[in-house]
Amino acid sequence: MPTVTIDDKPIEARLGETILQVARRAGVWIPTLCHHEALSSSASCRICVVEIDRGGWWQVVTSCNYPVRGDLTVRVNSERAIRGRRGVMQLLLARCPESKELRKLARRMGVDGTPYPKVTEAQRNCILCGLCVRVCEERIGASAISNAGRGVERAIAAPFRMPSDDCIGCGACAAICPVGTITVRTHEKEVEISPFKSRASLVRCSECGCPVGSELVKQALADRGGPKLVEILARRPICPQCKREKLAKELTVAVPSGNRGTSVRTT
Amino acid sequence: MSTVGTKIESVKSLQDYREELLAGRDPATRCVRVCIGTGCTAKGSLAVLEQFRKAADEMPGDAEVVESKCTGCHGFCERGPIVVVDPGNVFYHGVQEEDVAEIWRETAIGGRVLERLLYEDDQTGKIATTPDEIPFYSAQKRIVLAHNGVIDPTRIEEYIAAGGYAGLTKTLDSMQPDDVIDEITRAGLRGRGGGGFLTGRKWRSARRADGEPKYVIANGDEGDPGAFMDRSLMEGDPHAVIEGMIIAGYAIGSSRGTIYVRNEYPLAVKHLTAAIEQARDLGLLGENILGSGHSFDVRINRGAGAFVCGESTALMASLEGRVGEPRAKYIHTVESGLHGKPSLLNNVETLANVPQIIFNGADWFASCGTEKSKGTKIFSLVGKVKNTGLVEVPMGMTLREIVYDVGGGIRDDKQFKAVQTGGPSGGCIPAEFLDEPVDFDRLTELGSMMGSGGMIVLDEDDCMVHVAKYFLQFLKAESCGKCTPCREGTAQMLEVLTRITKGKGREGDIPLLEGLGELLEDTALCALGKTAAYPVLSTVRRFREEYEAHIVEGRCPAKQCPGLFRYEINAEICNGCRLCAKRCPVDAITGEKKKPHKIVQEKCTNCGTCFDVCPFSSIMKV
Repeated sequence: MPTVTIDDKPIEARLGETILQVARRAGVWIPTLCHHEALSSSASCRICVVEIDRGGWWQVVTSCNYPVRGDLTVRVNSERAIRGRRGVMQLLLARCPESKELRKLARRMGVDGTPYPKVTEAQRNCILCGLCVRVCEERIGASAISNAGRGVERAIAAPFRMPSDDCIGCGACAAICPVGTITVRTHEKEVEISPFKSRASLVRCSECGCPVGSELVKQALADRGGPKLVEILARRPICPQCKREKLAKELTVAVPSGNRGTSVRTT
Repeated sequence: MSTVGTKIESVKSLQDYREELLAGRDPATRCVRVCIGTGCTAKGSLAVLEQFRKAADEMPGDAEVVESKCTGCHGFCERGPIVVVDPGNVFYHGVQEEDVAEIWRETAIGGRVLERLLYEDDQTGKIATTPDEIPFYSAQKRIVLAHNGVIDPTRIEEYIAAGGYAGLTKTLDSMQPDDVIDEITRAGLRGRGGGGFLTGRKWRSARRADGEPKYVIANGDEGDPGAFMDRSLMEGDPHAVIEGMIIAGYAIGSSRGTIYVRNEYPLAVKHLTAAIEQARDLGLLGENILGSGHSFDVRINRGAGAFVCGESTALMASLEGRVGEPRAKYIHTVESGLHGKPSLLNNVETLANVPQIIFNGADWFASCGTEKSKGTKIFSLVGKVKNTGLVEVPMGMTLREIVYDVGGGIRDDKQFKAVQTGGPSGGCIPAEFLDEPVDFDRLTELGSMMGSGGMIVLDEDDCMVHVAKYFLQFLKAESCGKCTPCREGTAQMLEVLTRITKGKGREGDIPLLEGLGELLEDTALCALGKTAAYPVLSTVRRFREEYEAHIVEGRCPAKQCPGLFRYEINAEICNGCRLCAKRCPVDAITGEKKKPHKIVQEKCTNCGTCFDVCPFSSIMKV
């Protein structure tokens, strides 16, 4: 097993693991923005850079995708690595000065502000980390959004910046967005993924009427799941809150009076 | 007996075919060679060629045969269209349609030289009949470009007759794959596309890499502003690239080749496509080449116009049909490249060197050049030099020899200021280093780089901040936008440079630029971003005082940045013709007719119209 030495601390690692995985296991904090365990790495935000020993010289690499292929010596908190990470953060802050999430991470990294003016236009603080694009492609299988444009013109968009028919309105992009650029809006009969303007018909809870998801998500689940799931999906839709209350009511009746007070687990 | 259209089945038959072609040729045959490279075509050479062909058709049947053929780029694009007449190698430049009849009558048939179309050296006044007598050519050493301007690139017979595919026959006949790699390694050939990595070592890694199939990719996505080395090679000698690829395929164990060409090079695509078809017809591409058991075929992929696609991983993403964006190269592309398979990517100029190295041997190649940079290098010599064009010189030639001997010195005999080498990732080398030899390592030591061979000559009128700004504009526009430092950093640097050139630079701007440069070099994803600051860093390093003049004094020493100098009228020259006053868009010029005029500085917007229109050059920049 190779040994990865991070800031003088030796850690056993598996071949093929990334520096970031090893560091996290050892409790060493490295900031990330475009990285997610469930997705392929793109190493595009560059906020996770560290230094590695290349035998006589030190190379700055992204920890999220640098694979362990043998013993490795890493500096996470060297002056150069910190300067690199902070520099990248300052550039992002110049792009998205209003982002609360970004400012919070910046503070944790010891960055108070940015020396740069705002010269690039970001749509609702979008940092172009691309997590939304990857989750839509790799996990949802919809590929409804992608990177459009080049350089500072780059933006996340559906084709031709029009509402996409491929979007199933699942909201995975909104859930994974680290800076709150993407939001799910519910209208009376539709769910809208903003800012992409894609819409899907809304499924409401049959008890309370609150939104529980989209019709297309239901279909996608039915297409991929087994017969059991198809059967569940065929039932009347119910939101988690109502389901819990409903189950709790049934259990309350079933539990003998002497046992009241113990916790009841519902799903 | 083999002719075009029938497959050649063995090495011996190819040699016989070559001898047959040569035997059918009379060295005394009269021939008119018309350059149809992109430069000459732009100046009307296709019409010239058409006229020559028409003249040939109109010859009486019993007359002596005069051939008219097209060739690739001669390199002296400044003087195009270029026409060369054999025998005698008579070199005519600036040939227009109306000159054709005379050339045909006098030179092609009559064997007499037309003096008015010959090259005249503007310093010595010497008239040159053949290219060897022209300093632009005599100082060059044309190995890779040897066929350019000589053979018809659209006919494989011409390439074969000129010794083409002899490197391939030697490879297949007498060499094992490891021998080929040893030969290339011993020759010391380094990548001509920019990196300067040892080609032999790259081939060895590709041979050792596990995985099937393996790919050989020729990088013809030349995108540096002002560079056209690869274009001329692909247009003028496409078979040299293909032959290099077949040899590379044999060496690393690959049967699949791809040439990635920019779609902006339609002639290169046309000539390569024709060359591939002809090579297939002759059995030089395809299954069991020349009965050797080695199979190899080539396809062309056209790039859709992104500079970053010249970067290996972005190029491969583009080949896979994805967006041309780079990815991390922590695992090299020779191990995991196109479709995750071992992929050998070489620049077209590198590949064009290969057949000659194999045929003539590593020692022959290594006898030319410097200790660590062997052979020759093609440069596109552009900018403020008299003879712009494509030049091939031995490695180690000094910058002075390239600029003054080959290039003929600075246009209008102005003062040399610097030469920008290496494309957008390169740097500027000032006059004090003119006597330095040009090779991979020396250029890097000087804070620039070889790159793919762009060489832009700058004179006293060029503002170095403006030069840096020009390249940053290019890089900002060509950044793919994937990684933060390149996308945001180039935009920030351009912002700073723009304000400096407007005279609004601030104290601290130079350190800010230096800091951004270091950040990009450390953290950007690919080579485009990592080197994006080099034009800035190298000009700051060599011409810091020019940056300071802009920032501190609000003055542009080269008088190029509008607003940072004044226009004034030299009263001694001005004869009061009123032209400038009429053209001035803000009526800032006063004065009576036939009397010296004056510019009212308070009104002047520094647009430069007066400077451009004055027929007597009486407007001065001060």
